[in-house]
Formats: sequence, structure tokens, C-alpha cells
Amino acid sequence: MTARSLESGAPARERAAPSLWARIWQNDAPGYLFLLPWLIGFLGLTVGPMVTSLYLSFTHFDLLTAPRWTGVDNYMRMFTNDPKFWASMRVTMFFVIFSVPLKLAFALGVAMLLNRGIRGLPLYRALFYLPSLLGASVAIAILWRQIFAGDGLVNKFLSIFGIVGPSWISNPNYSLWTLIVLSIWQFGSPMIIFLAGLRQIPQDMYEAASLDGASKWRQFVKITLPLLTPVVFFNAIIQTIEAFKSFTPAFIISGGTGNPINSTLFYTLYLYQEAFGFFRMGYASALAWVLLALVGLFTAFSFLTSKYWVHYDD
Amino acid sequence: MTDAPNKLTVVGLRKLTPMQRRLVSVLIHVALLGASVLMLYPLLWMLAASFRPENEIFTSASIIPSAWSLDAYFRGWNGLRTSFGTFFTNSFIISILSVCGNVMACSMAAFAFARLQFRGKNFWFALMLMTLMLPYQVTLIPQYVLFRQLGWVNTFLPLVVPKFLAADGFFIFLMVQFFRGLPKELDEAAQMDGCSPWRIYWKIVLPLSMPVLATAAIFTFIWTWDDFFGPLIYLSEMRTYTVMLGLRTFTDSTGMSDYGGLFAMSVLSLVPIFLFFLFFQRLLIEGIATTGMKR
Amino acid sequence: MTIRIDRRQFLMGSSALVAAGAAGVMPAWAQGANMRLTFWGGQDRADRTYGVTDLYTAANGGSIEGEFLAWNDYWPKLATQTAGGNAPDLIQMDYRYIVEYAQRNAIASLDEFVGGALKLDDFDADQLEGGKVNGQLYGISLGANTVATLINTAAFEEADIAVPTSDWTYDDILATGEAFAAANVRNGMKMMTDSSGTEPMLDNWLRQKGLALYTAEGELGFGADEMIEWFTMWNSFRDAGVIVSPEDQALDTGPLETTMLVSGKAAMMPSNSNQLVGYQALLPDRLDMVGYPRLAPGVGGGHYRKPSMFFSVAGSSANKEAAAEFLSFFINDPDAGKILGVERGVPCAAAVRDAVAPTLDAQNQIALHFVANLGDLLGPLPPPPPAAAGEIDISLLRTLSQEVAFGGRSAEDAGVYFVNEAAAILDRAS
Repeated sequence: MTARSLESGAPARERAAPSLWARIWQNDAPGYLFLLPWLIGFLGLTVGPMVTSLYLSFTHFDLLTAPRWTGVDNYMRMFTNDPKFWASMRVTMFFVIFSVPLKLAFALGVAMLLNRGIRGLPLYRALFYLPSLLGASVAIAILWRQIFAGDGLVNKFLSIFGIVGPSWISNPNYSLWTLIVLSIWQFGSPMIIFLAGLRQIPQDMYEAASLDGASKWRQFVKITLPLLTPVVFFNAIIQTIEAFKSFTPAFIISGGTGNPINSTLFYTLYLYQEAFGFFRMGYASALAWVLLALVGLFTAFSFLTSKYWVHYDD
Repeated sequence: MTDAPNKLTVVGLRKLTPMQRRLVSVLIHVALLGASVLMLYPLLWMLAASFRPENEIFTSASIIPSAWSLDAYFRGWNGLRTSFGTFFTNSFIISILSVCGNVMACSMAAFAFARLQFRGKNFWFALMLMTLMLPYQVTLIPQYVLFRQLGWVNTFLPLVVPKFLAADGFFIFLMVQFFRGLPKELDEAAQMDGCSPWRIYWKIVLPLSMPVLATAAIFTFIWTWDDFFGPLIYLSEMRTYTVMLGLRTFTDSTGMSDYGGLFAMSVLSLVPIFLFFLFFQRLLIEGIATTGMKR
Repeated sequence: MTIRIDRRQFLMGSSALVAAGAAGVMPAWAQGANMRLTFWGGQDRADRTYGVTDLYTAANGGSIEGEFLAWNDYWPKLATQTAGGNAPDLIQMDYRYIVEYAQRNAIASLDEFVGGALKLDDFDADQLEGGKVNGQLYGISLGANTVATLINTAAFEEADIAVPTSDWTYDDILATGEAFAAANVRNGMKMMTDSSGTEPMLDNWLRQKGLALYTAEGELGFGADEMIEWFTMWNSFRDAGVIVSPEDQALDTGPLETTMLVSGKAAMMPSNSNQLVGYQALLPDRLDMVGYPRLAPGVGGGHYRKPSMFFSVAGSSANKEAAAEFLSFFINDPDAGKILGVERGVPCAAAVRDAVAPTLDAQNQIALHFVANLGDLLGPLPPPPPAAAGEIDISLLRTLSQEVAFGGRSAEDAGVYFVNEAAAILDRAS
């Protein structure tokens, strides 16, 4: 200690420079080295197209001829003169608010059930993941019709009780709900992630708690939930972002129209129509960046509050 | 026993006789099996559709075909000028490479974000999240122009190279959440022993993260296999097509379609991803919980 | 070029290696133009198209790399390729998009090749006219078709009602429809679909009144009064229970399998003459076709022979002349015609038509016969629709017709709204 302090003084500034570099090398280099592949990809492949789309959002771009700068016209039209923008925003908001919590609750519930060490666990896990495997298959569109059409399974069931149900999937009052049910039905991915999270919780913690006489519920509240919060946080954020960007279900069920009466006109479906159906890529880009701002705000808010409820080991 | 009602049920369960316990277990299985049918139904329907006469697929009320035939499988397999064998090979190449790329590159980036300290970390992390939020529909054309300038159009490169560069923030974020959950004492102890970050990553973090790595592998494989828009835009010659692209060409809303072939090949296309899932899901249950690491 | 092939070989695995190797030994590789061709359609169309490209390259050298996609996938890919400066040389084009692509020079005017590489002496004049934008030829019609009503004849037999002929009228929808509904066949099947949101049907109805959907100047060819009358008429059908319910009709989202005809909810459905074959494959009942309904007995002129689709040449193509030469072969060669049949519609060159006719099966004969014998149903070819026509159809007419059907808007309100909104969309697009 004394030796080092003796060396400090006037010449120290000269020596500080290499040691600063050394410190940077020591402190920052490992992080950037690990980040290198992502950085190359981000700077080389991702950032360019993103910035281009931001630029395009200030232009009129019909895909076939060069973009023409129009300033904030696209954004002006969106907020002042486009009822479909608001309609699609409403549809998407409704979808996000109902599908995300329900899907997460369902996924967590099933994951907990499957994590009890049930016999045949791999089989059930695989079966429950099946709907997610089917992805955007035509079969899903046909199946959903068979279940939710006027003469579909749901109404056959209801008719046992003398109830005559509507054609859920093609009635503008209910069609969005059938897409929410579809989203919940494809709960495989968050379920798997919850399961992986549950598996990461050391078993001996439960054993210790069990010995202390803690009930199952207490164990859930005191051990499972806190240790699972990073995964809950992840699933909540990701599912919300995905729900905001949700495109495929509405596309296959409504044939890309967003009908009946725009009741399933998801935001990105509208964006897609504008971009590739009506040749207004500039306007579509503006729509995309407004969505990004909205989702970004939500995510930032989630991260800010996360320190109060997400439990990390650091 | 009396203080909280929610405790009642759980504690009550414990007092069950072995006989009652068995009954509860049976009930759970009945419920799970019932739910499984709901999950299986579309697959059964697709299977039935692949075996039945074409003009019965959309008109028959029964799920049981009136006549069984393997015809659609033969027709579908060779129906598209290029055999589905080629499409399966292509899908395999792309999916397997994507799994390798994603697991490696994303775990490295996630390790940096979760366990290392460096300046600008939050900035980069925020940007990474931002890439998740922009709908791909609007970056498609600029990206196409970029890949075309690189001479990558009509090769697998636009579909695979981004995976090796951790372009999908979903997996980085996923791994970050899991890596942060690993006990900090582990790498502190390792650092004391003079371990380099690379050794900590390779010898401690990765082996303890099998569940999340398996999750990433499964999702990457399935999503790449199911991906349709990327291959649609970047692959133009039929011998480079993927399975999903092949499936989409069976139907056209303006003319003749081959629905039997579509459903037959759809059934076959599920086999590899289902097998991949079955194989890798065994890794889901390994990790801290089973290796018995103490916190 | 060689570098690209090497990289491809490296990437595409064994199957592609074999394919690339095979291509290498083909003499065609060395001479003639190498072109790319893209079209939408199903397997059947692809087989026929590739049959012709093979025939052509075997005789003339060069190579034609074909790609086909489903309709919904075709347009985003084509737009992306065009925007990326990588459009295929030969592009299948639709009536709906040809103006858009022509105005932006994404497809090339073919006038300079007519008479030279592109021989059109034998070509139907109205089909030639249909491929023109601003007086210049941008698309070569690959076949004529016309709108037609498809009929499930078995359902009519079960109801014990005579199958309508091309003399049927809008009044028959009401009269015969009531008898049909009263017969209550197949769990309440209706005679007719709710086609208040079907653009070609509205177009046909307007033409019988001497009006048009769009004027040659690209403006709306009718007013709010007609639109109100149209919606009111469909309201009366709906109230009488002779057409399918709004909930059922909304199940039709475009694909064949979702239509009221295939799902067995209606016995008649407006469609196109070249789609009979596609629908027949999905239905065990025998289908037939008649014209769209008449305003009144003896009133015709609503139909026209429409180019079902075109081939165009990309504006960026380096092989325009070679492409035109191939086009010429595609539409004029009798052997090519026999391979193509009437899958894209009735051939437009008379010699090809004569060569093809005897080779057709029963259903294709029906379509050919129908298009060739429209009689007084046939009217003049309308001017090409303005670029925004697609948007007006998809985002206005279809949605609005559903609003009226579900009772969310009155016919009066919807009629006025339609005309105003359509004007706004046309205005925005120009």
C-alpha cells in the first residue's frame, strides 16, 4: 500500500493512461468479446434495415418507385384521419389485455401440474405442446371453424342445455374472442419456459421447507413464486410484445381481411394490408414505429418496476 | 389447519389415505387425458383428411373416412416437381444450423448481459429489446436489399447467418433471465480460483443451464422449421424450398388445390419436429434441480 | 456467377448438388437466354406451365427457371423482389395489379415487340385490349374467362326445383329462393349466397343498368342511389330468408374450402367460369354453371370476357425480347395450348382454341362452352380499373356489406358512406 502511494504524484498522470487502458481491457473487454457475435449481427444486419424503415416512415413509398419525402404526413394521417388505425389499435389492445394474462395463468397452472412428478410427464408435456407445433397450419383455420361456427362443436354442446349459440367465429361481437382462445390454446412455449424455470429451483429448498412444516401453498408463495419471478417477468414481457405484434392467427382465420367488420383487424394485419396490399410501405413503416414506441414504453415501464418484484440472485 | 382456508385443502390432501391418494391421482390423469384429446384433435383431423377422398375432406361431418387410401401421401411426396425429400433435407440443414448458431451466439451474448460488467451494457440491452418490437413486415424490404447486395439471395445464408449472429433477441433475453438466476457465489468462487470469464461460461454457467439451452434448441428448431416468410422471400428455386414453403404451394385460392397432398405432407412435416421435441425435452429436466447444487 | 453457384452448392446439400450437376451437363445451359418466370397457382397449373417451358427450352435453348406460389404469398414476394431490383423476367399479372405495376414501370410495355418477337395476328381483340394501360400493351391475356354462377345441381334435385338457367333474374332469387328454403334440404340450405359484398356481382348489376363500376377516367361510375338500391335489394333477400345468414356468409374468407358452396350452406354462388373445376374437386355433388342473374327477363350486357390473368415482362428484365418470344410461343403454339388446356381460361388465339377444344374433359367443356356462348349476356369490355380498386373492394365494399348485413348500418347510410369513402380512397391514391 505504501509503496503504491509513494509512486503516485506528478508522474502518475503519465502512468495513468496505460493503466486506464489496462483497466478498460480488464473490465470491459470480456463483456464486449462475449457480445461480439451479436454486435456484428446488430450493426451489420439489423440496424441498417431498422433505420431505413424509420426513414421510410417519413416518406411516401409505393415499393415500386423511389420513396418520396413527405415529412410527418404519415403520422398526421394516422392520428387525425384514419379510423382504421384506431379500430386496429382497439382490437389489438383488447387482444393483449385478455389473451396475455389468461395464457400466462394457464401456462403456469399446467406447468405446475406437470412439475409434480406425475407419471407420464414427458408424454403430457409433448401432447400439450402439440397445438404450438401446428403453428400457422391451414388445419388450424379449418379446426377453429369446426369448433366455433354456427353448427360447430361449441353450439352442439350448448344445445344440450337448450341454448342456441351464435356463429362465434364469424359474428363481429365474438370473433375476437375465438382468437383469444386460440392464443391461449397455443400455450406451449410459455409452459415449457415455466417448466424449465421450475426445474431450476433447487429441490432441497422444498425439502427443508417441508421439514419445517410449511404447507404446499406456503412453499409456492415463499419459494416457487419468488424464484420464478425472472421467468414470469420474461414470459410477461415477451408474450405482451408478441401479442402486440400478433399477425398469423388473424391472418389465417380471417383470410387476411380482418373481418367480420374489422373485428379481427389486428394492428400488424392492418400494417401488412397497407404495405403489401395497397402499396403504402411508408405509411406501414410509420405504423410500425408507433407500435414500437408503444411497446417500448410498456417494456421500459415493466423494467422500471421489475426491481420491486423480480427476484434475481444478484 | 384452521388459520387459512387455502391451506386447508392442501394440508387436507396430506391426510388422505393411500386409497384416496390414488383416487386423486387417477382424477388428475383423467383431466390431463381429457385435455390431451383437445390438443390432439386437430392432428387426428389432419390424419383423417390425409387418408380420405378429396371431395370428402370439407363435406363430411364424420372424422372417420369413408374410404382409406395412402394415395395422398404418394401424390404429395412427388407432387411438386421436386420431391418432398429435398424439402425435408433443406429444412433439416437450415434448422440444425439455426439451432447451433442460436444456442452458441445467444448464450454468449446472454452471458455478457447477465454475468459480466461493462460500460454501455444497459444501452445495448435496450437496443436488443428494441429489435424485438419492430414488426418484421417493415424491415423486410431493406433487409432483402441488403442481402441481395451481399449476393445471399437464393441461398440459405439469409436464413442461417443471422442465427450465428444472435439476431433473435428472444433467446438472448430468455437466457439472460435464467443465467441471472444461477447462484452468484459460483462464479465468485471460480473467479477467486483465477478462472477466466470464458471458463466460467463454459464450465459453470452452460452445464448448469441445460433446461434453458434445451428450451432454446427446441424453440429454434421448431420455429425455424415452421418459419414461412423468410424462406418465401429469400428462396426462389424449388430445389432450395423448405417443407413449409412446399406445403403452402399445395393450395391456391384461385384454382385447383391438392388438399389431400397438403394434409398428408403436413402430417409428415410434424414428425421431425415432434421427434426433436421428444428427444430434447429430456434435457429440460436436467440442471440445478437434479444435479443437486446447493445455493 | 461461378462464385455464387459454388456457394450454393456448398450450402444446399447433396440434393442440390445433384441438381446443379445435372443442370451443368444440359446443353441448354450454354446457349439462349436464362430467364426466370413466376406465377401464382396450384400444382395443376404448375405442371402445365412447366410442360410448356420444357417444350420451349428443348426447342430453343436457354433456360426458364419457374417458381409458383399461392395467391396470398405471391404478391408480397413479387413486391419485395421488385423493390429489391430482383424481379423475375416473366411475371404473371392480375387485372387488379396491372395498372399499379405498369404505371410505375415495374413491368415493360410490349408494344415494340408486337409483330416481331410477339405475334398477335390471331389474338382476340378484346383480350388484347384488356392488357392495355394508358393505351400501351403491358400484359398478354393467358385466357378469357367470365363471371358465372356455380350451381349445386344435386341440391336442386333434392329440393325438387328446376335448376335455373342463364335466364334467371334477381326476382328469381326471391321467388325460387322461397320455394328452395321451404323445401328445407340439407339442414336448411339456402338457394343463394349473400353476395352484397361481391365486387364482380355489383359490377355486373351496374353494367346491366348501363352504368359501370369505374369510368375510363378512373372515377366511380355510379352514385349513392344505386348503392342504396343495391344494399336494399340484398336486405330484402335477407329478410325473406332466401340467402344465407350474415354469420354464415362471414365464414367465407376467400379460400375455396370456406365458401358457402363447399360448406353446403348455399346451392348457388357467384364465381368465375374457370373455377368450376377447382370447386368440383372438393364436392361430391355435380356442379354446373349459368350466368349472373338478370335485372329483368331479356336484360343482358352485364358479362364480359375478362382476361383471367396476364403474363408481363419485368421493366428491369435484361431479356425483354427473349421473354416476348417465349410469350408468343406460350399463347400461339398449338402443342403448348394442348398442354395448358383451359386451366387459365379459354385460349385467346383462335387456332389454339380449335386445337384445344377436342382434348377437354366434361367440366372443362362446360366452361369453354359457357364462355363461348354468352349470347346477349355479353357486353363491352370495361376500361381497366383504377389502381385503388382493390382497396375499395377489400377495405370498403366487403366490410360495409357486412355492416349492413349484421344490421350495424342502414342501406341508406351505407350507400352514401360508400360513395364518399370510395371517392376519398381514389383521391388519396392519385
